[in-house]
Amino acid sequence: MSDNGTHFNETFFEGQEKPEIKVVSVYTPLVYVSILVISLMIFASKYRRSQVKKLAELPSIFDEHEARDLYFAIAELAETEQLHPKVVKAALLNRGAEAVRRTIKLREVAVQIEILYKNGSVDDKYWQRYQNEMKLVDLELKSCIEEAERLQPDWPQAFVNLCREICFNQALQRRYDSILDRKNIFQKLYQLKLDDNGKLIQ
Amino acid sequence: MGQSTGATPPVPITAKNKTMIQYDSNNKQLSIDNDSNTDRLTNLNQINKLTTALVPETNPNFQPQPNNETTNMVKNMFQSGMQQAQNKNIPDALRKVDLAVDMRNKARKPWEPFSFQLQELHMMLRNRTDLELVSQRNLDAWQDLEMLLNCGMVVPEVFIRLTDCLLKLNLVELARPYCERGLSLDPKNGPLLALFQACEKKMLEIEGDL
Amino acid sequence: MPQNYDYDEASTTWPFFVLTVLFVAVTPVTLIELYRLIVGDSSDKSSSSEWSQLHEKYTSEEVRKYRLANKKKRSKKGIYFITVGWVLISMLIYHIRSNDAIYQIAAAAFDPYELLGVTLSSTDKEIKSAYRKLSVKFHPDKLSKDLNEIERTAMEEQFVMINKAYKALTDEITKENYRKYGHPDGPQSTSHGIALPKFLVEGGTSPFVVFAYFILLAFVLPMVVSKWWSTSQEYTKHGIHSETASHFVDKMFNFKPSYVVVPDLIIKWISEAKEFQLKFPELSSVDIANIIHSHVNREKTENEYARNYVLTKSSLLFHQLIEIASTFRNTEVALMALDTYKTVVQATPLSPHSQIFQLPNVDKEHFLDSTTDDICALGKLFTYPDDKIGKMLGIKDETALNETLKVASRIPKLKLVKGSFKVRGSSLNTAEPGSTPHIQVKVLVRSPRHKLFPNSLIPAEKIAGDDPLLLEQDPFEKLLEQPLLPETFAPLLPTKRRTCWYALVVSQKDGKIIQTPSLAQRLSLENLDVNFDKRVIKDLDKEFNAEDWTIGTFSIPFAQPAPKEEGTYFFRVVIKSPDYFGSDLDFTVPLTVKNTPIETDPKKEILEELDSDDSGNEGEENTGYSSEDFDESDGDDLEEDSDFTDIDTDTEDEHEATEETTEKSSKTD
Repeated sequence: MSDNGTHFNETFFEGQEKPEIKVVSVYTPLVYVSILVISLMIFASKYRRSQVKKLAELPSIFDEHEARDLYFAIAELAETEQLHPKVVKAALLNRGAEAVRRTIKLREVAVQIEILYKNGSVDDKYWQRYQNEMKLVDLELKSCIEEAERLQPDWPQAFVNLCREICFNQALQRRYDSILDRKNIFQKLYQLKLDDNGKLIQ
Repeated sequence: MGQSTGATPPVPITAKNKTMIQYDSNNKQLSIDNDSNTDRLTNLNQINKLTTALVPETNPNFQPQPNNETTNMVKNMFQSGMQQAQNKNIPDALRKVDLAVDMRNKARKPWEPFSFQLQELHMMLRNRTDLELVSQRNLDAWQDLEMLLNCGMVVPEVFIRLTDCLLKLNLVELARPYCERGLSLDPKNGPLLALFQACEKKMLEIEGDL
Repeated sequence: MPQNYDYDEASTTWPFFVLTVLFVAVTPVTLIELYRLIVGDSSDKSSSSEWSQLHEKYTSEEVRKYRLANKKKRSKKGIYFITVGWVLISMLIYHIRSNDAIYQIAAAAFDPYELLGVTLSSTDKEIKSAYRKLSVKFHPDKLSKDLNEIERTAMEEQFVMINKAYKALTDEITKENYRKYGHPDGPQSTSHGIALPKFLVEGGTSPFVVFAYFILLAFVLPMVVSKWWSTSQEYTKHGIHSETASHFVDKMFNFKPSYVVVPDLIIKWISEAKEFQLKFPELSSVDIANIIHSHVNREKTENEYARNYVLTKSSLLFHQLIEIASTFRNTEVALMALDTYKTVVQATPLSPHSQIFQLPNVDKEHFLDSTTDDICALGKLFTYPDDKIGKMLGIKDETALNETLKVASRIPKLKLVKGSFKVRGSSLNTAEPGSTPHIQVKVLVRSPRHKLFPNSLIPAEKIAGDDPLLLEQDPFEKLLEQPLLPETFAPLLPTKRRTCWYALVVSQKDGKIIQTPSLAQRLSLENLDVNFDKRVIKDLDKEFNAEDWTIGTFSIPFAQPAPKEEGTYFFRVVIKSPDYFGSDLDFTVPLTVKNTPIETDPKKEILEELDSDDSGNEGEENTGYSSEDFDESDGDDLEEDSDFTDIDTDTEDEHEATEETTEKSSKTD
């Protein structure tokens, strides 16, 4: 790189290693660093925002939340039509019961989901959905209680207890109501020939 | 993450479905024209049931309490069924018990204590099962028994009946596991051991090994 | 400049580098292909005896083509790879051989043994004598005078080398140097170079090399990594699309006890898999479900082109669904998924007569109309004479009938000989609290045609089989001694499959599955060849020959340690075949947890245990209870919660009213 021939008037030492001095403004490193930092920050915030958006877009691990949707539909209907005030209350109780069911359900399957996640049967996304749901279900219950307070200021205390009982009783009723279906399906599956009295024709 | 999930937003489904929900101001029941989604229908029925239960409720701060009136009503109907059973009139007994169960389903308010309701249903179903078994309605008995099992009645007696009715339906491959499960609860249970032998024999017969 | 790297100017290094890389890549693939060529064919041949031919015969032209195309596709890729690889290797070897520079370098290497003309095993004496001879020959003073200058120098150099070599083998220090650095003078200068041929680096090509590096590092590498990452994210560890996995988990999660599980439901879930959406975006899940249904019913479907792919893929999907359902502890779904799996493999819908209808050539309507006796099992079928069977099944052609009977008689039935919990290294039938037991299941494979014989006829040593000395052996390693199961007779399935069994373990306390299913792929089916026709055998004791029969073993790992508290715990074991109807086994195994009494001589204990085993108290079928006396101290509170998926009943456990209603049913008969 150094090329002695073209330079004169210099000591031997300087000639050996002549540093090429370029004047650089004090701001250059600062500008460099700030550009770097700012771009990183923009990236980070964008990334985070997109992650949050993605999380929000993740579908619930529960099936459609019919109980809640119906409640909102009915509450809206109540504004335009003359509904019996207790219809809204009934819808809210149904919503609360479903919220309780979901809370119990999530707690119940915690171990299973963790096993599935750990042995690689489900991906990070599902795990994230599950974590989301844990938070959402609490919020949902809280929001039910708020609604209950709005409908009847001294209600929340009783409301939660009612929801618990309703939740279990509804499950019991659903199971009971399925008996007829089950009978028909199993009769078909096992080709059971029954007479009018439900007796097996041998 | 917090801000987006914070307020559980009213889902757009409201706007769409508002028109679908119809309200009958006479009986205060809601109905929905599209019947595609069973889950939604179930929920709507649950709401209707709650409304029906709520309307006559005068105390705004009602608590989960069993309703004595209903209890007595159901009990009377059930007991008259049992009376018929003692008179060997099984079909009538079964009809009465069926009625008692239906009565329970309709009259019980959804918030009456679950443990109480479960116990009542258990008691009636157990008796209904026995009546069904006596009158050879084995499919009905099977499903009632599975319901009992599902609701936490894990006792040898249920397994005895399950094995018995499944054997009578010629479903040994289903009967045997139930029998074995019953025996796990009570390895020395006489009826179950006998039924187990019956299962084994039936298996051999079906397999042409006898 | 810190350091100067030499490029491989004489092309002496890079060919070796490339050669090594090539060998590493090509050799394993070649071996695998060779193995396939030899073993793959031979296994085909061995089973091809009749079984495979039969299978082949009933396979439709279309399915056969699909299988062949699949096979070819796979083997072709391998063959191309091998061919190109070996051509490159031979070219490289030719290049190396024709490159003198390499030889020169090789010649410069120092090998004292070669210089002295001795071998590694030569003694000091031999070395010495060899050295003497050579040094006499090459000693500068003894060289003949006619040699010219060059020859003389060479000779002199040789003499120095010989001296060095001798020293290297005798002198301690030089020996040490030679051992450590490969040279008697100590460490040699090592040169680091870049194994790139010179023509790539110098002259006009260098910008291309830089460009290539740039492309490689800036684009190809990140792309490959991100592609790998995204696919590894897209598919779960078990090979199905993660969305499919999530879908199955969703289904299990939202499962309510009020739902009824039927094959249609399982097929619906399977048909909603992401795999199908990706492959056939134009088909809805209903279309896919229709394809599966029409296969099961052996009908044509409108979307025939998708059929082979859907059926091939479904096998993996079923497997995963079964696993996920088991993780969710749902016995109902797991068992129904297995049954549905069967219906797809055999293209036979689930019905009381599935066992019969899975056979080839059967005329279903004719069968249902013609029989007055209700025949649901293959075993029952074989109680009739052959021609009667033909009449019942509506098979007129004799060869067809023979083939049908052949298939029927080769569908393995399992007979439980003994099922018990074992702890490795112990011959006891009880487990210590907290120990790790596994479930050992001894089965007799038999043909539906075989006459049944009681387990008491099987010699005890065949059942026990636990040599006290081998108790320490890994029970799962021991399974490897059994042969792999043969091909399943499933001519309508587009892929050939090996028979296997799923083993599910269910806690009898709550009726729920406690672990993911284990898969058994090894079991000897040689019993099927035994001639023991139930229509021929009259005198069981006389005609029975214990030598003919082998006892198979399933070892099922137990995912949890034995309970902490003493007592007897019951587990239902379901060994279910996804391949055939009528090959399942369902039984209960007790786990007795007991602290062993104070240490006695373990060997003596083992012997005593064996003695008592031999004395034949295992004669009757081991059903888990009946004869044995269990103490009724049920340490029941082991499992955490009596959770109900939908209904929580733990508040409610009063069964006092039970007694009054007891007894009735068993007396109603």
